[in-house]
Amino acid sequence: MSRAMYLLIGISTLACCCGALGAETVGLSSPGLPPSQFHANGVLAEDWGTLTVTLTGDGLAPGEQRLEAVALENVVPAARWSADFGQIRLQVTAYKAPVYPQGMDVLEVQLEETGGEPRSVTLNLQPSAQLGVGLSTARLGNRVVLSIPLETQRFLETRDWGYVIDTTPMPGWAKPEGDCDPGFANIRAGMGGIPIRYRFRVEKGGKVQVVLGLCESFYGQAGIRPLLCEVEGARPLLVDPVARWGQHKPGALLFTASDDDADGWVTITIRPVPGARDRNPILNVVWVFPTNVRLNLNKVISGALNDQARYYVDVGGKKDQPLLLTEGLRFPLELAAGEKRTLTFYVACAGGQAVVPELTAWTPESLFRAAREVWTGWAQR
Amino acid sequence: MCQQHQCGSCFNRRECLKMISLASMGTGLFTGLVETPAPSEAPAVTDVIDVRELRPKPEVRVAASFLEMPRPYWLGWPGTTYDLDGHQREYTALLRASANRLGIQVDQEAQPLNSDATIDAWIKKLIDTKPHGILVILQHMQTWGWINRIADQTKIPLIVFAPVGTAFTGHLAGPSRKTGVHVISSLDWSAVEDGLRMIRAKRLFEETRVLWIRGNERNETVVERLGTKVRAIPRDTFNQEFDKQPVTDEVRDLAADLRKRAIKIVEPNEQDALNAMRAHVTAKRLLKAEGAHALSMDCLGMVGARLVPTPPCAAWTLLQDAGITAGCEADLFGAMSLMMTSYLLDRPGYMNDPVPETVHNTLIAAHCTSGTRIAGFDQKPADYILRNHSESALGVAMQVLWPEGQPVTLVRFNGPNEMIIDTGKVVGNVQTPPAGGCRTSVEIELDNIEDSRDTLGFHQVVTLGDHRRVLEGFCQLYGIKVTHSPRFSTFEYGGQA
Repeated sequence: MSRAMYLLIGISTLACCCGALGAETVGLSSPGLPPSQFHANGVLAEDWGTLTVTLTGDGLAPGEQRLEAVALENVVPAARWSADFGQIRLQVTAYKAPVYPQGMDVLEVQLEETGGEPRSVTLNLQPSAQLGVGLSTARLGNRVVLSIPLETQRFLETRDWGYVIDTTPMPGWAKPEGDCDPGFANIRAGMGGIPIRYRFRVEKGGKVQVVLGLCESFYGQAGIRPLLCEVEGARPLLVDPVARWGQHKPGALLFTASDDDADGWVTITIRPVPGARDRNPILNVVWVFPTNVRLNLNKVISGALNDQARYYVDVGGKKDQPLLLTEGLRFPLELAAGEKRTLTFYVACAGGQAVVPELTAWTPESLFRAAREVWTGWAQR
Repeated sequence: MCQQHQCGSCFNRRECLKMISLASMGTGLFTGLVETPAPSEAPAVTDVIDVRELRPKPEVRVAASFLEMPRPYWLGWPGTTYDLDGHQREYTALLRASANRLGIQVDQEAQPLNSDATIDAWIKKLIDTKPHGILVILQHMQTWGWINRIADQTKIPLIVFAPVGTAFTGHLAGPSRKTGVHVISSLDWSAVEDGLRMIRAKRLFEETRVLWIRGNERNETVVERLGTKVRAIPRDTFNQEFDKQPVTDEVRDLAADLRKRAIKIVEPNEQDALNAMRAHVTAKRLLKAEGAHALSMDCLGMVGARLVPTPPCAAWTLLQDAGITAGCEADLFGAMSLMMTSYLLDRPGYMNDPVPETVHNTLIAAHCTSGTRIAGFDQKPADYILRNHSESALGVAMQVLWPEGQPVTLVRFNGPNEMIIDTGKVVGNVQTPPAGGCRTSVEIELDNIEDSRDTLGFHQVVTLGDHRRVLEGFCQLYGIKVTHSPRFSTFEYGGQA
């Protein structure tokens, strides 16, 4: 029997058994991988917990809901859940992408304004477990269980600046010598080789001057903890703080940054250097200046120019902050009359992790293509 | 039709009841239905499978155009004396020849593009037709402004050939460091052909299904970025198929040839050679039955459990020589690294266990499955000695003698997003005995690595020739981070508490 016939029978059978309101549960599967379950109340169940999709906003109340099993492009089995929230129609399409090695579930959430008026709504993803939520991922311990692709991240509620990856704050870790900004005493450390990453709001495509303040106090010998500094729009710079300035000596690096990808943000990342003995990156201070400020790095280090900075970050200090404004996964949206908008999310399934958007090549398109190719090839066995 | 349930698609009552039963369980409907496909027709044990047919044959489409300024030229590089028509005829002929050699379809614009309007129209065409890669040949310095537009708007891998006379360092600064763009500022056309090879290699990765023979699972997933499909099948599949494989005429011929081509035979007897070639024919059958193009197997586990009378080393060598990746120890990214040399460089390598030799400060790269056509699939093979698999004293493995003094490249995927690339020079072939370890054991003097103990990676693939630039180009074109072993040692000397 062909795969297409199996799919047809599967869909027909579900309709037979479940009547007008559709299925109670639809399994998401990929050849050989354990299935996840999508339930009729908009809940995706995984081995780590559940994820509930809801919509809030003035005058929005859940109405009729329907879950059905569908075959995307007649090939990829999927669950489609739709619910009317007054004048907003919510439709979630979920399928399992065959991401090596354990697979990953893909949720495509489509909102459609049907009342003919602009509306403000908030899409909420409610996990059953307490997750550590960052800009691009939500983690259960070290496991990435939900990721927010780059094209979806712009809908999150954010501050004007903040850290994107939650590394370890270590106030008072450094012992900076000489006249310097007090922020040099505090750091964040990317324990286990996690990069330290901050993002700053700028004009789209705009330029700024970024100064990174560094002070190594743990090692007295050069070559042990070099750092790779990446500032958007500038050439990456490898620096060994001890070799360049000495132990306990505050130093500063100036970069001319630009919003190269025109997303309205400048991103800075401090990474470990492969092969280095210590691969826990550190960062003490960040200043972001407009391009028209003439900078003297000694004055920057002393803190004398803090007032002229557009952003000043005492990394790991009391005023350090995450970029995300709220801890929940809330996506406020302004929908025009009749507008349809789709947001995509990736969810970890049994035994696996969701990909990290900044590090992955997967896109919604390539994930679907992979699913289609695998199902097609599997059926031809 | 199933009368009872009005399910228009049911075949018969038994199947219909099976569907309903699965559906009523409320879980995994499609899992139950689709994961048990009808078995395909597997090749018979006596079928002779042409090993070359197992290599994927992807369609590779490249769009190409010359970019120039409106004629006639007056001042500005490449200059009024530059023979535009002559060079364009020359490069068009070279492009056709390269495309023929590589089996690539090239859709070249009939006229050079020379204005914003023609560039915009071409970009639209590229977005619509989605070629696998783009080649532009620059014919004026002022055309550089179009490069970012083409790259950013199409998001299709872009090869930029800037013949000397069309670029300064400033022109290259941005585009040549950009992911998805490979800039060649040279008169050396072979670099352009290498760029086309990169596009072809990516398509080969995408069209490859690698059999991952290990454990007890059967599933299929896809490797990020490279797009290679990984079909996991239970390890026992191989030894069960091996048991079915008789000594056919093909097996006899292959075994005789294996022995005949060896410059020396040390341990293996004729039966060992027959068994090794039974493994080779079994692997071909399995690949064909699964629609696969490469494999990686838990060979050591299989030998350890004494499930087969021979490790697959010699069988794998023959596959590698034919361009079919055959990896050891179910190391998937070791196999992907072998694919890299096969698909991009048209030559096999071998994945190795790296041993730092601390007296000579060299690296000894050792394993039992080196290909012999190490200079290229179409080149004369290297000499080899027939040995047994050293760890088990079973079967047949080749000691391939690598040419001393020749450059080599070590390449290793650290997952799909990062590649370690190092280079060195062969300084000798280590004999076993006196050494232990594996039969092909090549001593390498590393370039740019102060201390061989700092060499990164395990199961790096050694391949003949210095291919660092080409591999780096591939990585930049497809967003793979490149890592090199550290030039200067980062380890402290002296005692520690």
